[in-house]
Amino acid sequence: MWALSDISFQVEQGEALGIVGHNGAGKTTILRILSGITTPTRGEITVRGRLAALVEVGSGFHPELTGRENIDLNGAMLGMRSSEIRRKLDSIVEFSGVGQYIDVPVKRYSSGMYVRLGFSIAAHLDPDILLLDEVLAVGDAAFQAKCLDRIAELRRAGRTIVFISHDLAAVYRLCDRALLLDHGRVVADGPPRQIIDEYQQMTFSNDAGPVGLAEPESLAQCTSISFSAPDSTDGIRTGHPMVARLGYRTRQTIPAVVFRISFYWPSGYLCAQLTTDSSQGGLKLGSGEGRVEFHCPVLPVVPGLYRVDLSIESNGQEIEARQRCATLNVGPGKFVAGDFYIENSWKLVEGASPEEKSFH
Amino acid sequence: MTERPEAAASSIARPGETLASSAAVRQSVTTGRSQVRPVKVIRPPAFSVGTIFSGLQTLARYSDLLWILSRFRLKVRYKQSALGWTWAALQPLALMTIYTIVFTRVTTVATGGIPYPLFVLCALLPWIFFSSSILNAVHGLVLYPNLLTKMYFPREIIPLSYLAAGFADFLIGCAILAGFMAHYRVLPTWNVLYVIPIVMVLAGFAAAIALLFSAIHVRFRDIGLAIPLLLQVWMFTIPVVYSLQSVPVRFRKLYLLDPIAGLIENFRTVLLRGGRPDATSLALSAAIAFACLAIAYAYFKSSEATMADII
Repeated sequence: MWALSDISFQVEQGEALGIVGHNGAGKTTILRILSGITTPTRGEITVRGRLAALVEVGSGFHPELTGRENIDLNGAMLGMRSSEIRRKLDSIVEFSGVGQYIDVPVKRYSSGMYVRLGFSIAAHLDPDILLLDEVLAVGDAAFQAKCLDRIAELRRAGRTIVFISHDLAAVYRLCDRALLLDHGRVVADGPPRQIIDEYQQMTFSNDAGPVGLAEPESLAQCTSISFSAPDSTDGIRTGHPMVARLGYRTRQTIPAVVFRISFYWPSGYLCAQLTTDSSQGGLKLGSGEGRVEFHCPVLPVVPGLYRVDLSIESNGQEIEARQRCATLNVGPGKFVAGDFYIENSWKLVEGASPEEKSFH
Repeated sequence: MTERPEAAASSIARPGETLASSAAVRQSVTTGRSQVRPVKVIRPPAFSVGTIFSGLQTLARYSDLLWILSRFRLKVRYKQSALGWTWAALQPLALMTIYTIVFTRVTTVATGGIPYPLFVLCALLPWIFFSSSILNAVHGLVLYPNLLTKMYFPREIIPLSYLAAGFADFLIGCAILAGFMAHYRVLPTWNVLYVIPIVMVLAGFAAAIALLFSAIHVRFRDIGLAIPLLLQVWMFTIPVVYSLQSVPVRFRKLYLLDPIAGLIENFRTVLLRGGRPDATSLALSAAIAFACLAIAYAYFKSSEATMADII
């Protein structure tokens, strides 16, 4: 059994490479080998430049030491010299927002403070090559946004980034190129959009029940999700119609059912939601398979990649939930600036119009 | 690249999420650096002389970490304890008292005219430094598995930091020893300067044993269980509670093959007897200790590669 085998790839200076794949595909092993945490059994890797790896935020913290002491310790573990840490200390404290608690032992920190301080230290690393493993999976939405901002900044500064994530939207947003890993091999290498599509096809073809893991005991299951554009062959685009189809299976008759499809920004904030009507007390489902179709005449969201969560509720109780189980890939369509496209019609009226309020 | 509209990327980030303080970080990103980029080639681990040199190079880059970690070991050890640093003095003093009672009241040993408390304390200090460093290093390496699986830094820094912390305790003990020497009016001569090479060899040998055992301990936890017993037996095979003079002459050559035995006897000679160290025995101790250190370090570095996988 090999965790990785026959892997060969190159990352150019200034490139941001995303690595995606299922759990156990070998993503973290690649990162561990690159960072020196473990070594390969065979083969060779050449690294040009100072490399820093962030596998887990705050993993080198000592609970008994204060925030300030942990900055020294963790910074040194990440490869900073003492002089560099001293120079950046104020900036690290400010960025973390820990403020007055900096001289309190970190065992008394809330988990949020812990994570913020950990990331703040890592954010001040100034390596040529930065390896990141699922760092966005922790912390609240504001923290994730901060991480993304910082990573984007490093990219603009010409740093090389290797980014491992299950958050496909983040890979799409941050990376120039992506690798798809499966069972320790590189199965695809190319632009993120194409790799993400291949990854999703792989996800759907691998499983019998296409969406992630299924619990057999649950009353209802989501069995599939698909998005399509009824009016075009170019895929889903801003300002054009979209149809979402959510397949389900039930084991028995279920009362008062509500289906939800939630779309999330890459930062983790909820962007929009499609839900079936709950005003009449919800739907009554018979047992067996079926699907819900949502018809959206105008898709108002801006181009980009959205994370999709699915859920089924009965009597206000969630009986099925699938998180991050799919993505919605929206291409550029009608012109949009800002957060949303507003469907509108307009006309030009010339001449004074006394009944309308003037600006002054 | 396929279409990657900048508008898409920027409009996805909602205005509220961009935090003001990122400006502070922006300053820290230096664009267009001129320094040469180091080139590192990662290969499967090998047990060779080369590993020692490349290992020492990396260790030098992380020397600040070794210093910081050693300092924090001391800080953390006595945190939330009422007696604090007094503990560093209590252990040798307690042992000194009990051995003095046993070896002056119950039975007697020849000390060559040196008061027994002084005689035994002088040997206990280097021994406690040696044994507690090894014990702490062996357990310390596996204490926080996250450090091994989630971060990279030269792993030998963990055992070595326990050694450095043990050395600080040793210095405290030496101050107490000086007090006892003053009390018993045993005045040192210039030969006391030989303490420096003796302690260096002692530290080298302690590092060798600590590296070797802590590396094996990651794989086989038997080491951690065996070490207290081993150290207990070891202490009675070296001249701590008795003097080298009590060892039959025909066994002495064999006896002094253990670097610690020679080192402790020499430590006592230069401090309490005011004499020069036995050069043959010191040279032998040094040769064996540093040979062990080289082998132990090479072994540690070659097994470091898989520590994260098997811990």
